[in-house]
Parts: sequence; C-alpha cells; structure tokens
Amino acid sequence: MIRYDLIVIGAGPAGLSAAIEAARSGLQVIVFDENAKPGGQLFKQIHKFFGSKEHKAKIRGFQIGSELLEEAAQAGVEVVLNASVIGLYLDKEITVRIENRLLHYKGDTVIVATGASETMVTFDGWTLPGVIGAGAAQTMMNLHSVQPGKRILMLGSGNVGLVVSFQLLQAGCEVAAIVDAAPRIGGYGVHAAKVARCGVPFFLSHTILRAEGDDWVTGVTIGQVDGNWNTIEGTEKHFDVDAICLAVGLSPMSQLLQMAGCEMEEHPKFGGIVPICDPYGETSIPGLFAAGDVSGIEEASSAMIEGRIAGAAAALRLGYFSENEFALRVAELERALSSLRQGMFAPENKGKKLSVTEEGCPVSEHLLGTGFLTEDEIFRYPGVKKIKGIHPVIECSQNIPCNPCQDACSRKCIKVGERITSLPVVDEEAVCSGCGMCVAACSGQCIFLVDEEFEEDYAAVVIPYEFLPLPRAGEKGIALDRSGKELCHAEVVAVKSLTAFDKTSLLTIKVSKEMSMRARFYKKGVRVG
Amino acid sequence: MRISEHPILGIPEQKEEVEFTYDGNVMKGLEGEPVAAALKAAGVTIHRYTSRHHSPRGIFCAIGRCTDCVMVVDGMPNVRTCVTPLAAGMDVRTQYGVSVKAEIVYEIEEKGR
Repeated sequence: MIRYDLIVIGAGPAGLSAAIEAARSGLQVIVFDENAKPGGQLFKQIHKFFGSKEHKAKIRGFQIGSELLEEAAQAGVEVVLNASVIGLYLDKEITVRIENRLLHYKGDTVIVATGASETMVTFDGWTLPGVIGAGAAQTMMNLHSVQPGKRILMLGSGNVGLVVSFQLLQAGCEVAAIVDAAPRIGGYGVHAAKVARCGVPFFLSHTILRAEGDDWVTGVTIGQVDGNWNTIEGTEKHFDVDAICLAVGLSPMSQLLQMAGCEMEEHPKFGGIVPICDPYGETSIPGLFAAGDVSGIEEASSAMIEGRIAGAAAALRLGYFSENEFALRVAELERALSSLRQGMFAPENKGKKLSVTEEGCPVSEHLLGTGFLTEDEIFRYPGVKKIKGIHPVIECSQNIPCNPCQDACSRKCIKVGERITSLPVVDEEAVCSGCGMCVAACSGQCIFLVDEEFEEDYAAVVIPYEFLPLPRAGEKGIALDRSGKELCHAEVVAVKSLTAFDKTSLLTIKVSKEMSMRARFYKKGVRVG
Repeated sequence: MRISEHPILGIPEQKEEVEFTYDGNVMKGLEGEPVAAALKAAGVTIHRYTSRHHSPRGIFCAIGRCTDCVMVVDGMPNVRTCVTPLAAGMDVRTQYGVSVKAEIVYEIEEKGR
C-alpha cells in the first residue's frame, strides 16, 4: 500500500484544479483517471466559455484544458492515466486497476471528482447504430476529426444540445432539427440563436416516437406531446437522418462515494444522487471530499472553482494551510463561484419560468419557443439602441453570467457592471471605433456591429463567423435573418481574422438599409427572386 | 467522413496511415486513433449483434462507458473499440453475442494449428 497526502479521483476540470491547489500548498498529490488522456471533457469543448476574466471567460474549453495541464505539471502533480479506481473504502483507501493489476493506495485526504455520465431516454429503435450520445458526437468530431453523421437530429435543447448542434454545423454536418419535450428551450438563448440563424428548426413540446432503419438509423419520426407528455395524434413529422444525438441531461457518477459510505441524497436540482457536503465539498466522512459534477451538475467553470476549494480544504485539514490563509483563499474562490451562480440559470431557478429580467425587461417567449428574437423584441434590451454611425447591437436578452464584451471595448461603449449577469448596456454617448473586439469576445455570438450610413442606400452589418470555407471580400451571397431564412442580397465587403479574435472571423456584409436590423447571418449563393 | 479542416481546430494532427482487417477485409485507418473512429470513417456502423435478439449495436457513448461498441480484436472479445487505439495489422471482427461467429472461431482455430 502506498500513501499520499491527497488522492484525487478524476483528472477533469474539478480534479485537476483540486490537485493544483493542494500541490501548491505543499501536499503530495496523485491523480488517477481511467482515460488515456487527462482533461475530462474539456478538450471536446471548442466554444468560448462564459463568465468573467477570473473564470477564464472567452477562452475556448480545450485551451483551458491545456492551461490546467501545464499548471498541474508545474505544481508537481502526479497524474496516472488508464487507471480506473474501482474501490473506495473506509479510512480513504482505494483500489486502482492499472492494466491487469490491482493496486492499493491510501490517501490522508481523498477528493472524488468523477464527473457525470449522460442520461438516456428510450424509444422504439433507440439501440440502433446511429443513435448516439451528444458527448459521443463531440468526441468523434472534436477529438478524432470524424463526422458522427451527415444529417443529424438532436434531442434536447439544454446547453449541451445547443452547443453540440452548433459544433456539428462547424464540423460540416447538417442538423435537421432540435427537438425537446419541454415547451421551452432549456439552454442559453444566445446558444439557441446561433443555431437558429443557421436555419436549424426547433420543435419544442415534441419527442422522438421512433428511430427508423433495419441495421442502422435511416430516419426518425417525432411527434408533439400534450401537457401530460402524451403524443398528440396526427402531429408526426419524419426526417431522413443518419444519426440521432441524445442530449437529455447528465447524472452525477457518485457510485464511489456511495461505496465509501458517505451520506447521500437524491437531489433533482443537482441531477441525481449526490453526497451531502459542507460548503467546502467535504462529505460526511472527514477528509473525503467531492468536487465538480459528481456533487451536482453544473458546468466546467464552476467545477474548476469547486475543485480549488476542496483542494484548499484538504490542505487545511492536513495542516498545510493555517485557518487564516484558508479563510482568505476560500473567500476569494467563493466570490468567484457565487458570481457564476447568479442570474436566470442559477441553480435555484432551475425549472422556474421567469417572465422578466433583473432589469425588468420582458423575457422573449419567441426566443424560448423558436430559438430567436423577433425584430420588434430586440429594442426591449439595453444592448440595442438606435445610434448614428457604426455601433454594437447586443442581442443579449437573458441574465447569464458573462461579461467579456465589457472588457473588450476600449471605447467604453459597453457596460455590464459589477454583477456579471446584468444585461450589457450600450452607451449612446461613447463612440464606437468599429474594431469588432466585442463581436469576437462574445461567447454567445450575439453582438453585431451595424452601420446604417455605410453607403447611401446600404447598411453594413458585422457578424461573427466560425465556419469554413471562409467567405472572401467581394463575394456576393444571401443575408439570412435570425431564423435562418433568406432575406436579401448581400455582398461581403470585409473579412477580418485577427489572432485576438481567436478563430472567430468577422464578416462585414453590405445589405440594403432597411435590412440592417434583420440581416444576422450570411451564406454563399444566389437568391432566387 | 473525416474532417479535413475545421474552423476552430484547424487541420487535424497528422497520423500515420496503417492497414488493419475488419472481418477479414483489409482497411485503412490512422495509427493511434480509436478503432471505432477508423471504422466510422470507413463507413462501418455495426460493431456487434446482441446474443439473444441478434440486434445490431454500434458506437453509443464513445468514451468507454457503455460497452455497446465492443468487438473481437486480435482474438479478444469485448474490446471497447472507442477507447482502443488502432495499430497496424489489427484483426477487428464483428462480435456475435460474446464471440465471433461459430464458423469463424473454427477458421481461426484451424489457422492457429
């Protein structure tokens, strides 16, 4: 048996953060992970993260993963891969399977950061090859560069379903529809708007009736459900698809904690059976902690902070931190964590229907039902103002924890304020330089620059663009509206791809003046009529 | 289909192309990628048939958790192809129940003699 000050189970965002925090305080730390590569699911996350600077906002998930690995190496954390922890026993002893051997370790403290597994739903044909988890789609396209299918139907409109749908489009796949049995889109409105403007339709209050095909998926039929989740006859719709992606939630993988004898509870807001923890992640067993999704489903940004808090608490328990040092460090981390847990998507608001924002702006039912805001609705929000000359138009309509737009603008045109969940306000007095930093910095891709006086009859609209092939200046094509519908002729007048934009290119399209507040996407081609 | 260039990830890391066999047929894949990725890129969707109902199964979770994608690899059944790196010369076979088809078992045994 080998002893360590701290054993961390799971090398994802929470586990690595916990290990870094503890190792920096002087603990001897070992991390076990069953996978061949560390980082958990971070390396599949190719979108820019939300939050503020302290949460690594506007940095893409896989880059955050690389930073964490570097930090772990610098802190002297030992990471053992292809090592499945199969037992967690009294006195914080563990058994680990490495190749065909079982090894025995003991930790003076143990942090369980095993994450979550995908929840599944069953329907006729759900076992057919081609029905896959949303995570599988991400793994195949973002890690292994293989398309999971040509044309895919997504079940689930939470953030996972929305983000993976967008990633499927980026990988060159077609998304036939996003379907959810709930009557409203569950994820961030800005994520929904990104896919809606590419022309992906949403079917809310719909569910999959059956996957079709003899040996693999060749199609799918969905149908509308009533308030009691019963299918309404005559509402069936068929799609030819070769893959169906399931994004219907995550459950904590808390089996090891149950095995160790921690007090557990079934907590629907946390996604399943979770350990009862104190504010620092310590379970009912002294010295045994839980951090990240295993203690309640959230996202990677909060998992990383929870990991740091648990790491600091382990350091305190073993005497590597004084009470005072611990209190200072944890106060800082708790502030960062609490700022992420505010707003409309805060854990306590889960399942609640909110009708106004913190600012008192009415929430768009249209956005929640179709994935996009209507032209009449956008002026409700403080990021949309009528201003002469080029200016940002921020179509941000929900209180989500995010403020990179504020930091991006050197002209101080955009203000979010202290509370990072506040809606961004565009200052009519400040003068926009048209640099586009806010457009590229917006993790939700909901900022556009509009210049109504671009030419006599034409307006210019700057849109964020993350697809290939990248259009060229001078190219003529079609402007699409927020729903992805063809709107009018458009000419690409500029394409900017700066290093500072981090792979988000900025397309400036010229459209007729009256379309300036409607044109929000571009596609190559010739408009008929 | 393989993604040759990605707007965010760029051009995939270059890996050596290797040959392997799938149910006895020679196929090409990239060294070190999961066997399941090589099969998917080559258009193979069925990894195994269940023992009782003989219904087909393929990739489901792609992270080694669900065991839907197990196949017989180099004579070993129940190998999770989504987390098994491809190597040159690998013998990958559709799994029926918990083994290759009975007649194939016989064939392999004959070869071994």
